[in-house]
Amino acid sequence: MAYLELENVRKEFNNSVAVENFNLKVERGEFVSFLGPSGCGKTTTLRMIAGFELPTSGAITINGVDMTDTPPNKRNVGMVFQAYALFPNMTVADNIGFGLKIAKRPADEIKKRVKEMLDLIHLPVKGDSYPYQLSGGQQQRVALARALAFQPQVLLLDEPLSALDAKIRVELRSEIRRIQQQLGITTIYVTHDQEEALSISDRIVVMSAGKMEQVGTPFEIYNFPQTSFTASFVGQLNLLPVTVSDAEGRRCAFNGRALAVGQPIRFANGASVRLALRPEELNLGGASGDSQRNELTGAVESVNFLGSVVRIRVDVGGATISIDLFNERQLVLPKAGEQVTVNFPAESCWVME
Amino acid sequence: MTQASLPLQKPATIRPRGAVFNWIGVIPFFLFAIAFLFLPSSSLFIGSFQNSEGGFTFDNILGLSQPKILDSYWLSIRVSAVTAIGGGIFGFLLAYAVSIGGLPAWVRSSITTFSGVASNFAGVPLAYAFVAVLGRVGFVTGILKDIFNIDIYEAGFNLYSFWGLSLTYMYFQFPLMVLVMAPALDGLKREWREACENLGATSFEYWRYVAMPILLPSLLGTMILLFGNAFGAYATALALTGGTLNLVTIQIGAQIRGDVLHNPGLGYALAFGMVVIMAISIAAYTWLQRRTERWLR
Repeated sequence: MAYLELENVRKEFNNSVAVENFNLKVERGEFVSFLGPSGCGKTTTLRMIAGFELPTSGAITINGVDMTDTPPNKRNVGMVFQAYALFPNMTVADNIGFGLKIAKRPADEIKKRVKEMLDLIHLPVKGDSYPYQLSGGQQQRVALARALAFQPQVLLLDEPLSALDAKIRVELRSEIRRIQQQLGITTIYVTHDQEEALSISDRIVVMSAGKMEQVGTPFEIYNFPQTSFTASFVGQLNLLPVTVSDAEGRRCAFNGRALAVGQPIRFANGASVRLALRPEELNLGGASGDSQRNELTGAVESVNFLGSVVRIRVDVGGATISIDLFNERQLVLPKAGEQVTVNFPAESCWVME
Repeated sequence: MTQASLPLQKPATIRPRGAVFNWIGVIPFFLFAIAFLFLPSSSLFIGSFQNSEGGFTFDNILGLSQPKILDSYWLSIRVSAVTAIGGGIFGFLLAYAVSIGGLPAWVRSSITTFSGVASNFAGVPLAYAFVAVLGRVGFVTGILKDIFNIDIYEAGFNLYSFWGLSLTYMYFQFPLMVLVMAPALDGLKREWREACENLGATSFEYWRYVAMPILLPSLLGTMILLFGNAFGAYATALALTGGTLNLVTIQIGAQIRGDVLHNPGLGYALAFGMVVIMAISIAAYTWLQRRTERWLR
């Protein structure tokens, strides 16, 4: 039996559906991210797990107990908020120990637990500081410690890194994952940042317009997207307008040129569809007669240096595609306007509506 | 070999040009403060230590220890404290209702507008408004007597007494509390309440451990402001009670206007005592406000 289970959960606000038909089973100790654009229902779902919103219909169970109508203060669920939500009138130690104080635990036990938590978040000397004396990253660590101190059944994180700068974000997400694995706590993480979700999750739930688009491991979500939304939302994606020329033989046509497709084609011959391929799967140069590689020619539109990656945009006649090349010192880059040949393996592309 | 050299130049100093003009902008304020705050206060201070011939004396300050003067301070303190606490509590509850009480938006805008007007409605018009409503032959007094057969004066109420004056002061005290506390209540973040609930706290525990400690400096600070507001009131009390209540402000008026009790030196000393009490109030208010601001940075 799953540790956390959401069954046919639906939420309406003033007759507008925020979340519908949400079904998810999360195992004990698993780290699951809800990934999607703003307004897709991921935070609403998280708030229903926390008890701040009641589902219009459906059920939420934690460790076999139906929590659907349980008030938030009786759920034993820890939550980290986007804007930290530390109590400004309390010191860091008081913030961390607040849940234990409410649970009327003995003072020496609270003190010991607070010290453990401060060590866990690598802020052992900040116990007497007030939140306003800490940086954003430190405040979010304290918020995490506060949510973990009373040993909740489930940890919920609502875009906890979005108010921080890029470098701190990367550091802190590793820190969150380390702590989660160390404690083995079941965690739900809400984010709109695909890189964040891909880097720390055991599984990702991709959401759009209140619905689950796909659930899978980061590898599955990125490499085998099942819907066009997932394919376009997670990672960069090139979409070429093509016509199915031979569905059985897995062939499409683009500007009169036949292209081999690695995945089965679910559309009839003659259907106008889109060929999807990731920029990092493309290479400059000819296919050298390899029948399992496709070839396109076009003019370079732009070359953008992005540090570890160089992004080249090529107009292949009616469509522009991006090619991501790993940056190497000996890399010879084409110039804008130059005619180039682009090749990509049949296995790397798939057909979408 | 010829080397091109760049001329050594002193780095350009960035001069905040606008700063000078900004100071010019506040000069009228400083002139006003000097003319109507600093100079009169200095005059009060000097006058408190001068006799009628202009010589130095401690008699005026020593005169403050007269039982009648001490009574007037005590009465002013009592009226101010009662109206600050009463107006503070009532105003806070009203501010809570309009800020986070879930009332429709129009209620808030109506009460805020009323509060803006009422907090500035004082003096003779306020006194006469209360006389017209709650005086011996006032409109509400009459309705209560004629329709409900309740004679509030028979029951012990008297508009021209301590409690009557306090009730009248409440009219401008609680709206001031609403105006100051509503933004403070708006500053309570929803996440604090949710974090509290999430950590197992009840609504009462949220108010006890989080909301009230955050609001308390503002609450006390504003009550101090109300205290000062009532302490300095003169015209309302004079128009309402005709000087029968021995408030400090009425005493000062009597000493300086001098129908019977003409002693400007004592009047200056009384005013000086008031300035000291007001200064303490303002200092306490500022300290409490800074405490909250530091937390909420």
